Amino acid sequence: MAADAGSSPLQLPCVFSPKAQQFLALCAQDGRLRVWNTDSKTLHQEYVPSAHLSATCTCISWGPCRTAKDGPKRKKRKSEAGQVEEKADLLAMGTAAGTVLIYSAAKGALHCTLDGGHSGAVNCVQWHPEDSLLYSGSDDTNIIEWDLQTGKMRSKWKADRAAVTSLCVSHDGKLLLSAGHTIKMWDLDTKEVYRKFTGHSTAVTTLRFATTRPPDSNGLYFLSGAAHDRLLSVWQVREDGKDKNSVVSFTLTDEPQHIDLVTSNSKEEAVRLAVVCKDGQLHLFEHFLNGPCKKPLSPLCTVQMSDTKDSPVPIPLLAAALGADIRAVLLAYGNHLQPVIERVELSTSERHVCLTRDVQTSLSLSMETSISKVKTPIVNAKSRVLVPGLPGHQAPVKGTTQGSEKRKKDTDTKEMSIAERLGEIDLSSVSTEKGAPKGMASLQTDNFAVLLVQGLESNDAGILNKVFQTRKEMVIKKTVARLPLPAVLPLVEEITKRLQGHPFTAVLMVRWLKAVLMHHTSYLSSLPDLVTQLGVLYHMIESRVKMFHKLTKLHGKLYLLMTQVVTSDSSKAVAEVDHTAKLVYEEESSDEDESSGDEGLPDDDSNWEEDEAMEDDKKEQTDEEDENPDSRTESKANGDEDMEHENESEEE
Amino acid sequence: MASSCSFTLHKTAVVAPGHFPVKTVITSKMASFKPTKVLLYPKLGEKVTQDTLYWKNYKAPVQIKEFGAITNIDFSPVAPHNFAVTAFTRIHIYGPFSQEPVKTFTKFKDTAYCGRFRSDGQLLVAGCEDSVVRLFDIGGKVALRMFKGHTKAVHVADFTSDRYQILTGSDDYTCRLWDLANAAELNTYQEHTDYIRCGVTSKLNRDLFITGSYDHTLKLFDARVNKSVMTMDHGQPVESVLLYPSEGLLVSAGGRYVKVWDLLKGGQPLVSLKNHHKTVTCLCLSSNGQRLLSGSLDRHVKVYSTTNFKVVHNFDYAASILSLALAPDDESIVVGMTNGILSLKHRKNPEESKELSGQQRRRPSYRVFVKGKNYVPKQDDYLVSKPVKQHLEKYDKQLKKFNVSKALDTALESWTRLKKPEITVAVVKELDRRGTLKNALAGRDEPGLSRILNFLVGNLVDPRFAPVLVPAAEMILDIYKSVIGQSPVVDRQLLRLQELLEKEIDYQQNLLEVLGMLDTMFASSIPRKEVPCSAISRSNGLAQGEARPQLQAT
Repeated sequence: MAADAGSSPLQLPCVFSPKAQQFLALCAQDGRLRVWNTDSKTLHQEYVPSAHLSATCTCISWGPCRTAKDGPKRKKRKSEAGQVEEKADLLAMGTAAGTVLIYSAAKGALHCTLDGGHSGAVNCVQWHPEDSLLYSGSDDTNIIEWDLQTGKMRSKWKADRAAVTSLCVSHDGKLLLSAGHTIKMWDLDTKEVYRKFTGHSTAVTTLRFATTRPPDSNGLYFLSGAAHDRLLSVWQVREDGKDKNSVVSFTLTDEPQHIDLVTSNSKEEAVRLAVVCKDGQLHLFEHFLNGPCKKPLSPLCTVQMSDTKDSPVPIPLLAAALGADIRAVLLAYGNHLQPVIERVELSTSERHVCLTRDVQTSLSLSMETSISKVKTPIVNAKSRVLVPGLPGHQAPVKGTTQGSEKRKKDTDTKEMSIAERLGEIDLSSVSTEKGAPKGMASLQTDNFAVLLVQGLESNDAGILNKVFQTRKEMVIKKTVARLPLPAVLPLVEEITKRLQGHPFTAVLMVRWLKAVLMHHTSYLSSLPDLVTQLGVLYHMIESRVKMFHKLTKLHGKLYLLMTQVVTSDSSKAVAEVDHTAKLVYEEESSDEDESSGDEGLPDDDSNWEEDEAMEDDKKEQTDEEDENPDSRTESKANGDEDMEHENESEEE
Repeated sequence: MASSCSFTLHKTAVVAPGHFPVKTVITSKMASFKPTKVLLYPKLGEKVTQDTLYWKNYKAPVQIKEFGAITNIDFSPVAPHNFAVTAFTRIHIYGPFSQEPVKTFTKFKDTAYCGRFRSDGQLLVAGCEDSVVRLFDIGGKVALRMFKGHTKAVHVADFTSDRYQILTGSDDYTCRLWDLANAAELNTYQEHTDYIRCGVTSKLNRDLFITGSYDHTLKLFDARVNKSVMTMDHGQPVESVLLYPSEGLLVSAGGRYVKVWDLLKGGQPLVSLKNHHKTVTCLCLSSNGQRLLSGSLDRHVKVYSTTNFKVVHNFDYAASILSLALAPDDESIVVGMTNGILSLKHRKNPEESKELSGQQRRRPSYRVFVKGKNYVPKQDDYLVSKPVKQHLEKYDKQLKKFNVSKALDTALESWTRLKKPEITVAVVKELDRRGTLKNALAGRDEPGLSRILNFLVGNLVDPRFAPVLVPAAEMILDIYKSVIGQSPVVDRQLLRLQELLEKEIDYQQNLLEVLGMLDTMFASSIPRKEVPCSAISRSNGLAQGEARPQLQAT
């Protein structure tokens, strides 16, 4: 389980229909086949194979487009009278159980099932370009040639010592490539090995003919890609049989997942190649195949997708198909369950292109589209529900009456990572603000409680921060109410730790603490060592509120001052208030008093003693106040009196 | 004599702070100055233990991108302790400090598993998805031996302690013993009922080995009796097992649990640890056996003490962890993740700390200072004591010169203010004690005042500092109330201060309510207890006594 977490060994099959590329056939993780219309970008058909869980689809291949003159297929065409010509119809699906299903896109139903041939999982299916023949390669090391007119096996031969992982039929229908332990080229008439190519150490996942020239002209090339290999190799079928090594290789950033190429007919025509790698990048190549090239070729253009968020996240590309025009590319991206299909014109000069798309909106748009045909299997009560994947690991889950629904739910919860869960909380909290129904809120708090318990168990700061940052009283209350009892004390400890911080954050924590105390009162008071458990918290709070008095006072003081500042500011701003006094009383002798009180005094003999006392006071002031210039002038003006006063004091 | 004299002077200085008689000041200056006492407060936040220091003493991680998920890391038992990293179809061997693989084994048809070294470090064994077990020579490239017989992927491979046999465990529910020399299968054990995903051989006894399976069991096999001799139920699919060096204890990981079993007591469970919120995937022991490490899909590595099995440290990583290994002597921590990133953390070598101490070397060494100190005078020796120069901090020097304003300025220098607020607070307290705080605070220009206000905004509500800083803040308001409104900078800070106080008061009101709740709760819990200890009732009574007037005040 752990080993598989990083790399899914299963590549989900994903194929565009040939020629017009009108349809995209996709087999998603849930085992269903979906056919998308690339013109209208909507879901065209959905088909659920009856054994889609026990025998998942491993490979898909579109049959050749049928025309009216197609001789050998007359029999089938009878059943589909009135069919538009040149339309992709039949889809061959290989399954992990060893059967091949033929699905008709025109009918929207299963055409026939080819079974009894393979004992292992089918790894690849390939159509013959003209005759109604189908080739399938399997884990049981055999290749089977099926005749679709009879629905029977026409021939079967052992192709390799190892499992046959890939097949490819040449354009003239005379040669077949198979990949097992080695890549072998078969003459289809005699079923004999024509050539052998060795070089890949891992399973070959892709085989494609790159040219349409005949094999004896030194001009036939094909390319191969292998699992975990970051090179696409091109092999030349040489007349002299000295084709030991690959002639050209294309560098990729990851192993190839989907390949589309436009073949060349002559030396003057370049082969165009679009490769989607496992890391979700698309690489476009263009190369003239005319002999060996030592250095690996780097892509002409690399295309990446990212979303429009602040921190962009790459969107994986699933498949790409080359159009008739040199830079027109049909792209499918997003997830397999709901791919987004888009036709893109790429600018020729850029070597690296990053497209930004808002997948959320485009996803919801495609959600609204109506599904034309949906078929679900009838599940009876005794059926066993199997986990998607390869058969062999016998751990069936007992199914209930609503088997399919249950499975759906299971996959949903399993796939959810913590990050997604956190993201969902964000989304749902937004929706609760808008007044979502109660059911939503309870679901969310349920998630919250689970998250909180997880965070407390593993002491994960990220999760805890996220949970504790909620401001909604309801959410806090419900979360605490749902909290299992063993998690209560750790929560109190965590809160105690966080209460010591800045008041802005600590206020939030008090809410949590209150909620805990209210909801788990009986549990907490039943604890025998309650005092020791909560003692730390108690003392912490006590020490914090000790200064409550003084702080409140200080706040009052500050408040008063600041309001005054604010009012004075605002009064200035609002209007010029008349500050002149309404009534001014003027006394005649006022100028004398104002000019100098001291100077007037010496004239009055009776006040002499008092004046002296005042002078003393003043002296002290001057001593204290760093000799105020005003008082200095005054003392100068009263210099003689000072002298007298000093003399007197000396006399005393 | 001299010391006692200085002591008495000292005392007078303490008794009459503020306005000394001039004479005393001079003599005290001559004799000694009492430096400001910086109170040591308990540190907030996480406790710094010996373990945190030890496990934090690693350099920034080196990250290497591998081809795929890294399922196993194994250190070579011999120097220079290279390590084998199993990722996807390759096994890379890295040197202890190299960031490029020194050796690569690529001869796998499919995903490789469990590349492990033999105890002499010469051979490497690895399982593979294609059910073939391969044995490599460290020097060579091609597999020396191929062990064929399993029918499904082999996730476990290990050498027995005699070095001539190999243990493998596979998804076909069997584990097998192989002879290394002729690649022959010696024995097959078909006791598990699900995938075998972990296993370990005894390093002391060549016949004992333990396997863990997805059927939730751990089985101890003995090659001499051809069957399992002990079965332990883990309760979850077992992902990893680990034997103590003494081999008395066994650790298993599976689900969210790490469990410790006592093998000598017949597989009795000792401890069950649940510190992860996702599946625990790997286990590792520190080199001295004192610490146990566990890595999990929840992206944490936890370090447990093996004496009390408490978590003593925690590492965070970017992705889910699949494999974990510690170099001998804990020189480096190597972690492999699901996204194919290998993270290497090397221990900071002591040389770097030596470079730091190199500067200190230039100072006179300790010997210079203690020279002659341990000399015991003889009876008729006349002792002339040399005055010892007292080292004073900058702010103390200013305080000694009675430059109160400058002393406060030095204490408010940005480094002290931000890193050691307790020093600033101590100086403020000292100034307050001397009664000169008002002078120190007064007469400041705009930047000077805003610096103080800044400090207040940062530390006023800290319960450790509030008793000192609140009076200081009041004083500032008294002094500067006439100039408020003249400087936008100061006004903004005052507004911030006001906002902070508002929040704090709101917060404390809430806290007082909580105190009330706690009181009620304590009161209700005490009568239920038949033997309440006196300490509890006392503290409770005290707390109530204190809480009540404050509530009234609100």
